[in-house]
Amino acid sequence: MSIKNEERLASIEVIQENFEKLDYICNLQIATAVFLAYHLGKPILIEGPPGVGKTELAKTCADMLDLECIRLQCYEGLDESKAIYEWKYGKQLLYTQVLKETLSEILQGATGLAESVSMLHDFGDIFFSEEFLEPRPLLKALRHEDGCVLLIDEVDKSDHEFESLLLELLSDFQLSIPEIGTIKADPEHKPLVFLTSNNTREISDALKRRCLHLYIPFPDAPLERRIIQARVPDISEKLRNQLVTFIQELRDMDLKKVPAISETIDWARTLILLHSESLDADLVRQTLNVILKFQEDIESIDAEVQTITNKAVKET
Amino acid sequence: MDRTIVDFVKALRTAELKVSPAETLDAMAALDVIGIEDREFLKNTLSMVLSKTPEEKESFETCFEQFFTFEQFQGNLIPADDVSHDDDGGEFDPSDDDNPQAGEGRGGGAGMGGGGGSASEGDESDSTADVPNTMQPESRLGQLLMNNDKTEITIAVVEAGREVEVNQIVVFTQKGLYTRKIMDAMGLPELQDEISELKGHGGLPQRKLSNLLKSGRDTLRERVRDYVERQFFLHADEQGKQLREELLKKVKLSNLEKRNYKDVQQVVFKMAKKLIAVHSKQRKTVKRGQLDVRKTLRHNMQYDGALFDIKWKATKIDRPKVMAICDVSGSVSNYSRFLLMFLYSLSEILPKVRAFAFSSDLGEVTRLFDQSGLEDAIAKTMRDYGNGSTDYGQMLQDFKSNCMDDVNNKTTIIILGDARNNFGDPRAEILREMYDKSKRVIWLNPEPKMSWTVGDAEMKKYAACCHQTEVCNSLMHLERVVGNLLRSVS
Repeated sequence: MSIKNEERLASIEVIQENFEKLDYICNLQIATAVFLAYHLGKPILIEGPPGVGKTELAKTCADMLDLECIRLQCYEGLDESKAIYEWKYGKQLLYTQVLKETLSEILQGATGLAESVSMLHDFGDIFFSEEFLEPRPLLKALRHEDGCVLLIDEVDKSDHEFESLLLELLSDFQLSIPEIGTIKADPEHKPLVFLTSNNTREISDALKRRCLHLYIPFPDAPLERRIIQARVPDISEKLRNQLVTFIQELRDMDLKKVPAISETIDWARTLILLHSESLDADLVRQTLNVILKFQEDIESIDAEVQTITNKAVKET
Repeated sequence: MDRTIVDFVKALRTAELKVSPAETLDAMAALDVIGIEDREFLKNTLSMVLSKTPEEKESFETCFEQFFTFEQFQGNLIPADDVSHDDDGGEFDPSDDDNPQAGEGRGGGAGMGGGGGSASEGDESDSTADVPNTMQPESRLGQLLMNNDKTEITIAVVEAGREVEVNQIVVFTQKGLYTRKIMDAMGLPELQDEISELKGHGGLPQRKLSNLLKSGRDTLRERVRDYVERQFFLHADEQGKQLREELLKKVKLSNLEKRNYKDVQQVVFKMAKKLIAVHSKQRKTVKRGQLDVRKTLRHNMQYDGALFDIKWKATKIDRPKVMAICDVSGSVSNYSRFLLMFLYSLSEILPKVRAFAFSSDLGEVTRLFDQSGLEDAIAKTMRDYGNGSTDYGQMLQDFKSNCMDDVNNKTTIIILGDARNNFGDPRAEILREMYDKSKRVIWLNPEPKMSWTVGDAEMKKYAACCHQTEVCNSLMHLERVVGNLLRSVS
């Protein structure tokens, strides 16, 4: 497995090619990041506006390497019991009930309190052993035998405390569970870790320091055309070019939320459904709600739809 | 290469990127993996390891370009027709640059750190065999000049620069000093001796050689000066900027001139960012001892109702609700400008700022700031409300009739003004009412404390109705006040 991965990640060009086979078109920076992450064994922190393919990168990477993708979606209030591990309280309870009934058998032959207590001590340890441990995504990823891709999605949504919790995992690929000890990842099969952030708040320096930092911006026109081609192969070349030019124009305007790649793709699919061959102002107006998600935005560009459409049609 | 990385990191730090030693180590580890052949690849890699925000990436870009230009010294040091070598002029590619006759002895000068001295020895015999008429100089630098290999000269200059630690340069007046130091390190004294000796000798070939060497030396000096200049921009320019920023923080705001505004704005943003970093964590205090029954029951449902995990009541601490009332009449407008700038740069951790401006009549300008950029909003505020004669009584009256209802025990009111009321009615009783209703009233006065009671100033009356009065006339003061404001609530 790892030899195969070594081949798949041999150089940047190879990575780009492999990604392209899976319909993920990436620029040099992205390929470099994946290359480095694998060879240095470091997590990647991906930042960028929503909808540029941050999460998709991790998923595609897992596909490419034939590894399982373990995903941890962050949200406010996420804590270690949901991210790392939890004790199976129910099972523990059940076992205590059972134990209660057989207690006298177990304690047979014990003389005096001190001896009974020491005998019971052995049971206490059993209750906090692997048997009763419910692994959550982070621990699962760490113990995965073949290695895996761990995607920690939208770290910026979680609390500061959780960020600090991640530090041990990110720098040493290990987690400490007080009752059991430290669990380490197999050095041969370290998980490939991706963290994504939408930059709603500043990530702490400590976390940034442990990661490679990749910023994915909106793609330029040629790259976006290639992405549309890969994702929506049915679309005619003419329409594709018009569509991309239109979107690129929109991104330069003052909007509350500019359309990202995912919106472009949705729009392309919509236009195919409508059997349209080329853009015109009416069509754009009707489908504007696919690319713009705020009524204010739709209203504000309404007046300019005609001009931008003309421009897009003329240029291509 | 390690040393180059360390130098580069130092340059990055002067460009205000925060690069930790651990990241430097990471960069070295990454270099081991990727090698240094592909420049684009190298840049992407280092950018990923060393710069961690989009802004940092931008400054990284410029810094990288500046640092890793191994710009060839273009053109020849010695006019080509005077030298017997047929040099093919100003190509940039170092590997092609070796001229056909002299190149063989050197074996490609492009390798990093090829020792200048030993390499040119082999060359000497070659050249003399080819062109017996030309004399060869004896000093090391002389030979280097006559060889006229740009790569080698570049390397020699860089090495000499390293030797005299040109990256320690601090102010621009040191340029001459470092130029001379580098020239000396490259062997200028020997060359000088040789030139004068040759001149004294009197023979034609000697004189010709001495002239050649002299012109070569002068051109080289120019080049070294350029090199030092570039190093200065790389290593010291930012330090100068930092010095200036420190100064801007301390200078009286009223003394700032228009041309400084842009710098000041940057300083304000930076200070605000620092405050944000310190205070952005939303704190909770956990009141121990008070059981949150609802939460506990709900949380423990998953354990069959056995109360394993007990939840305590916690209170979230609210961000302060700030009302800023700014005097924008001529005398104080400058201070107000920066207070507003400060408060609005903090919008990330102070989401509930309401701003008011007055000279005599009070007006709310919050919307202005929400809708347009900081610069615009300030300009519009000054236009609409500025330049009247101040009337604090009227202002307080307006505040009472419009906004008093919104003041509650979570509100902090900041008033910025000199309290010079033109002998009008101070209406301090309204301020007293605000004092009673709000959490804090802070009065910032740009004048020194001594003049608070002189002339038409009503500060004495007002001060009695404030929780806190502060002199505030520089960015440092502003930062302290705003910092305290944030601290007092958390």
